[in-house]
Amino acid sequence: MKIRYVLVSILGMSLLMGGCAQPPADQINAAEQAVKDAQQNGATTYAANDYAKVEGLLAAMKTEVAEQDGKFALFRDYGKAEQLAATTKAEAERVKADAAKKMEEAKFAAAQAYQAAQATVASTLALVAKAPAGKDRAALESIKTDAQALKASLNDVQVLLDRSEYLAAQTKAKAIQEKGEAVSHEIETALAKIGKGKTMARKK
Amino acid sequence: MLQRIPYVAASLWCAGALTLSGSLAACVENVPPEMVEAIESLDRDLLQLRAAEVAPGEYAVFVHQWLTLRNRVEAEEDTIRWPWEPNDLEQALHHLQAEGAKTVARLTAQQEIDRHAAARQLADVEERSRAIATQVSAIDSRLILAEKPVETDLLLKQARAFYEQGRYEQSLQASDRASHHLTTQSALLQRELGRYASPDRIAQWQRMAHETIEWSKKHRTSAIIISKAERSLTLYRSGQKLLSYPVRLGFNGIREKRYQGDGATPEGRYRIASKRGRGQTQFYRALLLDYPNQEDRRRFLNDRKKGKIPAFRDIGGQIEIHGVDNELMAQTLGCVMLENPQMAALFERVDNGTPVTIVGALLEHNSVERALVNLSTRRNEV
Repeated sequence: MKIRYVLVSILGMSLLMGGCAQPPADQINAAEQAVKDAQQNGATTYAANDYAKVEGLLAAMKTEVAEQDGKFALFRDYGKAEQLAATTKAEAERVKADAAKKMEEAKFAAAQAYQAAQATVASTLALVAKAPAGKDRAALESIKTDAQALKASLNDVQVLLDRSEYLAAQTKAKAIQEKGEAVSHEIETALAKIGKGKTMARKK
Repeated sequence: MLQRIPYVAASLWCAGALTLSGSLAACVENVPPEMVEAIESLDRDLLQLRAAEVAPGEYAVFVHQWLTLRNRVEAEEDTIRWPWEPNDLEQALHHLQAEGAKTVARLTAQQEIDRHAAARQLADVEERSRAIATQVSAIDSRLILAEKPVETDLLLKQARAFYEQGRYEQSLQASDRASHHLTTQSALLQRELGRYASPDRIAQWQRMAHETIEWSKKHRTSAIIISKAERSLTLYRSGQKLLSYPVRLGFNGIREKRYQGDGATPEGRYRIASKRGRGQTQFYRALLLDYPNQEDRRRFLNDRKKGKIPAFRDIGGQIEIHGVDNELMAQTLGCVMLENPQMAALFERVDNGTPVTIVGALLEHNSVERALVNLSTRRNEV
């Protein structure tokens, strides 16, 4: 009789201990941290769709945890939540790596566009320096002003690059390059038409 | 009787097998695969519509529900059920499919609205930019705007690039900024050139011209009136108009001269200080004016004191009415230029001391005023 009592107690205790499952706090924290890392590393910009899916996984995991939390202690099972936490973490890390790769690609493309724009503006400024005080002085002064404005706009691209806004930087750099080429073409056309003129150095 | 036992057993076995196969045939899959495919297709549509960017909250809910349901679909893959058995998973998938389809339809419609709005705004601002450029070119006032036209142009190029990438919101933002730049340009032109549309100022210029003509009449001698807006030089003799020629001004001539090198042509009452004949000027013939006069100096010092003119700037000088050096020199640094035959005719008819009055405009409805009115109308339309 005594032995039976002890056995029943042991069985009851082990059932209680086994039944009171705890949420996988470490895995959940790790998953949340991984999603946060992905977001801080530009995933919302450079891997927006995948990041949205990861957020969906995170939400699914939280729902699952909440669902289990709502059950009677003996019936809680966090196995699925644990599995979702592991998947979320793995996916978030993959998205973070993917975003970093895409960000690097965008950075490279923006840097290339910036270099191309710098080269175009430098060539435009060199052409402006060669341009004669020719047929249309107002046009020449306008061209000079345009070239200077383009040079100043290059700083805006640098600011965007410094702020890691690579897509905006690339778009602006391309616009500068395009405009620089148009201004250069304008000068070349004028040069071809009128040749070299005298420079004026008079007080007015 | 005993002989019939195997027969009964066989009959029972057959009936059991028939019942089982009938039951199995009546069972159905838990979730039809085409439903799963349909939701996957919706997910792809949402990705293409950039749902994660344009409707992040809605897309997150869809993704969350889809992930949850897909897990259930995978977990219950081998489950079969009776057709009449309630299937909450299928119902949930139906609901998700319906919600997803609604989101796709809404985002597609929204995308089309955004595309249309971005296209319309971009076209409007580009058209407005061209219109302003035309007005600016008509009155040679491009330099007043300094770097602003380039900045506007860059913004419009960015807006166009964003539009072509399907980034309509960014396109709208860029064209909106370009629009503000254009408004600033219009305001700047109104501020700098508003005097050409001011009845008081025009009346003052008309008075100056009238007094000069009266002086010519009174002293029975020559006097010159130059109108910048009309780009004209008129020579009077004894108060009578003798000749009138078109002129070209400084490269920034439409503005009021403020300091050396600004390319503006001064306005005021001057006299011919010196006649420069062949060999004395590089511009065929030249009539040197006594710029700066007392009024010019007073204004210059006042502006410099107020910080409107940098301290290192000089007031300038050597303002002339001159001919054309060569074909390359078609514009001046602030002087008034005539074609050589006309310069020769003028040169012969004036002397040192001949008054030269330079005004902004003599007509109330002059070219600059018309350009400003056009700009203002355009701004009001926008």
